[in-house]
Amino acid sequence: MLKVGIVGCGRIADAHLSQLQRVKGCQVVGVCDREPLMARQLYERFPVRQYFRDLTELLTVARPDVVHITTPPDSHFAIAKLCLESGCHIYVEKPFTLYEEEARRLIALANDRGLKLTVGHDDQFRHVARRMRTLVQTGYLGGRPAHMESYYCYELDRSSYAGALLGDKGHWVRGLPGKLLQNIISHGIARIAEFLTSESPHVMAYGFTSPFLRSTGERDIVDELRVLICEEGRTTAYFTFSTQMRPSVHQFRIYGPKNGLILDQDQETLIKLRGPRFKSYLEHFIPPLSMAQQHLGNLVTNLGIFLASDFHMKSGLKYLIESFYRSIVEGTSAPIPYREILLTARIMDTIFAQLDAQPREVVPGHPALQAADESRRPSSLQSTP
Amino acid sequence: MDPNAVIARCFADERRAIDEPDRDTFLIGPDDLILITGATGFIGSRVVKNLLDHGFRNLRCFARPSSDVAKIDALTGGACGGMRVELVKGNLLSRDDCSVATKDAAVVLHLAAARGEKSFPDAFMNSVVTTRNLLEACLEHQCLRRFVTVSSFTVYSNRQKPRGRLLDESCPVEAHPELRGDPYCFAKTRQDDLVAEYGKKFGIPYVIVRPAYVYGPGNEAIPGRVGIRTFGIFLHLGGSNTIPLTYVDNCAEAIALAGLKKGVDGEVFNVVDDDLPSSRRFLRLYKQNVRRFASLYVPRFVSYALCYLWERYSTWSEGQLPPVFNRRQWHAYWKKTHYSNAKLKTRLGWAPDVPRAQAFRRYFEACRERRHA
Repeated sequence: MLKVGIVGCGRIADAHLSQLQRVKGCQVVGVCDREPLMARQLYERFPVRQYFRDLTELLTVARPDVVHITTPPDSHFAIAKLCLESGCHIYVEKPFTLYEEEARRLIALANDRGLKLTVGHDDQFRHVARRMRTLVQTGYLGGRPAHMESYYCYELDRSSYAGALLGDKGHWVRGLPGKLLQNIISHGIARIAEFLTSESPHVMAYGFTSPFLRSTGERDIVDELRVLICEEGRTTAYFTFSTQMRPSVHQFRIYGPKNGLILDQDQETLIKLRGPRFKSYLEHFIPPLSMAQQHLGNLVTNLGIFLASDFHMKSGLKYLIESFYRSIVEGTSAPIPYREILLTARIMDTIFAQLDAQPREVVPGHPALQAADESRRPSSLQSTP
Repeated sequence: MDPNAVIARCFADERRAIDEPDRDTFLIGPDDLILITGATGFIGSRVVKNLLDHGFRNLRCFARPSSDVAKIDALTGGACGGMRVELVKGNLLSRDDCSVATKDAAVVLHLAAARGEKSFPDAFMNSVVTTRNLLEACLEHQCLRRFVTVSSFTVYSNRQKPRGRLLDESCPVEAHPELRGDPYCFAKTRQDDLVAEYGKKFGIPYVIVRPAYVYGPGNEAIPGRVGIRTFGIFLHLGGSNTIPLTYVDNCAEAIALAGLKKGVDGEVFNVVDDDLPSSRRFLRLYKQNVRRFASLYVPRFVSYALCYLWERYSTWSEGQLPPVFNRRQWHAYWKKTHYSNAKLKTRLGWAPDVPRAQAFRRYFEACRERRHA
């Protein structure tokens, strides 16, 4: 029986505990928050043995084997380090750390101590994402990916979190190097990182504050981001983060030399894109029919999973936790390769560095934008350090 | 806190002074400082107006940085000397902001709340942690004479009531609010517990006010006790049930009195208007006065059975559907119940200023305006 501890008793900790109740072979021995009221409310609502306000106390009294770190990102590194030094495996919510260097140090520490770690990229373990991975691994694309597109959108007006962030100039998210982006985009970036092979792809980022946010007087938050990622002469990828485009999609498209795939996370659908074309007018008739058939197939699959009672909103989280615990118990590789964690962090570091260097408050056609374009053209395709 | 966030305004005293008979029954004088949290909100702005109308001249309005202060400006604009209305912007999650807000406050009317939060931790943090911070700040200053916390009818379990169908202040609150599937209920129940605990432990004089559904211009929604809209159809769940309503101005008067009247420390007051309509009547009037739409009546035994089935399925499927509908929820919202405001009238001397007909007229007018906006 694995003993589990949770640090940070906010909203995402609820999701962890909800799914941990469904995971066999584990027991939550303690939850911890520096605000004792928050720790107590979690303790009251879930089957948890004890609650603490001090992390050291959780580690020494409850003695967990694994600690889930669900605190704000700026605290991840220090908490994760302490947990590893205390001999605990760690599950760190996304983003893993603020900087790649911190991620590197944690991975080195875990390796030194013979411990395991993972990051909360649970979207990559939803049913549909697992089906896509299986197809890619079995060669459906016909070779290495040629191009990928990852869309990760966010509706500001539907989120109470966004309301709190925008209304509070002292909100902790504003203190992150990448602000709002840092707290959200790692899911979409990690999808791309999973299929990249180069350690240092070129990254070119452009971000701005949407007209909607500007109309509210907001100037500090970048909520529109476009990124081009490319490996020298091989795979390329686009990443799009938008608060304004509708529908507000969470999609991943991957194209190989033979076929392609489209994953829609919101609809939980996976569509195969057949590479070869049909002759003449048949191309206008057979592919739409095939699409209809595939959508119907997705519907049947989704209904089947729902009826089997495994279609929870956070089904990916349960799968990731189970895979991570299995890797601990059986001594196998962690479900998310460390290389992927580092690459995601590295791409994010580069994006934020480029956004920092980008002139603000420019409008299309403005001389400042043109000057920025000119200066960026050759240098923006630099490799990350 | 941004020092610029504190805006003090002084006004000539054109409003009425406190009536002599009232002055004897009030805990504080007209120049004692009253802090109102959530002051720019739907109810809070009416409480500010009510206090000004009662002749209180020293108010501190606390609001979030993102709040629209137009309502407070509208109340205080235009005048004069002798009155001081401070607007303090801040976050109740900050102990420093709470300390600034409660300094010298003789009465705290705590209305700020996490309404509409769908997550338990967020609702809890924005109700309970914020309340704890305010209480701690009050202890620090040692000048508090009354802490009024605004709770809700939602905290009542509406089961095992001592007097049959009558729901009053003696009825039990939800013993396991975590099982209701409603973050607001959980947060408000724990907030009441916390205030009572501080009262007992540290001697903080408190009053708990539990309003029924507060309606009026600014909240044009149809109460959930009447029914819910789902998949394009309105399910009418209330039937012949009495709907516990209080018009926003009447509710504001009750909250103000709870902060002012002597001799009610440690008491709980339910706030509900006279002459309550049935759910069916409310819906009919709404359709006549605002807009027509299709509704499907769901008898009580059917709504109970549906809540039971949803609850069972949620348990069986390990939360694939969250337990938002369950038997506890049904008891609290859709069970036939009668309501009393006797305690409010006898102990606080409250009477609804706005009669139901007038309140409905204003509410429906606001609904129509909102619809055409």
